[in-house]
Amino acid sequence: MDMELIFGLFVVGLPVFMLAFAWAMGVWVTRRHEADLAQRELAVAHILIHNSGRLQDATTGPHPPMMITSEVTLGVDHFRGFLGQWKSLFGGQVRSYQMVLDRARREVVMRMLEQANEMGYTALANLRIDFADISGSALTRRKAADISVLATGTAYFVAPKS
Amino acid sequence: MIVVNTESVPGYQITSVLGIVQGNVVRAKHVGRDIAAGLKNIVGGELKGYTELLTESRRTAIERMLSQARELQADAIVNVRFSTSAVTQGAAELYVYGTAVKIEPVVQAAMAT
Repeated sequence: MDMELIFGLFVVGLPVFMLAFAWAMGVWVTRRHEADLAQRELAVAHILIHNSGRLQDATTGPHPPMMITSEVTLGVDHFRGFLGQWKSLFGGQVRSYQMVLDRARREVVMRMLEQANEMGYTALANLRIDFADISGSALTRRKAADISVLATGTAYFVAPKS
Repeated sequence: MIVVNTESVPGYQITSVLGIVQGNVVRAKHVGRDIAAGLKNIVGGELKGYTELLTESRRTAIERMLSQARELQADAIVNVRFSTSAVTQGAAELYVYGTAVKIEPVVQAAMAT
């Protein structure tokens, strides 16, 4: 084979290979994370969670209520980032990003519930979810956005139902 | 110090409001973390370096807010809110603010009524 052909294959093949690799890994990472979340959700299912600032049915427990925070940064894989960019040519829903955002939100809430559970709290009030643009993607319009989600809430004790 | 992001503290009553306390921090990521995140970004998944950066920043900001509250001799900080802003590429500000208050425990019998 002549050099030009090999070079041509390399130039075309490498990006295609990268996309395929990123797609396969992305699917694997997503599935693993979702399975992990589903399992962890069972352990904290008894904790009452709401986003009201009023602590109804609150009771005094062994320690006072406490603010709990958690954060997570998820990357969007190369393949989904590519899809997202492609989609932005035509507009419309970018499902690949929506899914990552959903997962990020589930993860932060899960981390808060786990912290609350560890300390024995039975409820979490005033849940707030924020986004942080730590990589400055909004400023630079870089291709793949890192999604940072911050959550805040107040853990307290709820009176057991009689 | 009791820190909550709700308007009141269950089991306690607010006796006086001392004012707003705040803390902020601007953190930049270092290049090593950027490179590691860049590699991780090919496959997606959690970028732990950035998560840690946020956790540390939050802790620092809260610590600064707490020291202000201690100066005011507050018992608790209520209604805590966070906000973030991207200052430049690679640096982000985390700002936390709340209301410092004096509180007193409520007698259990009074709570039931």
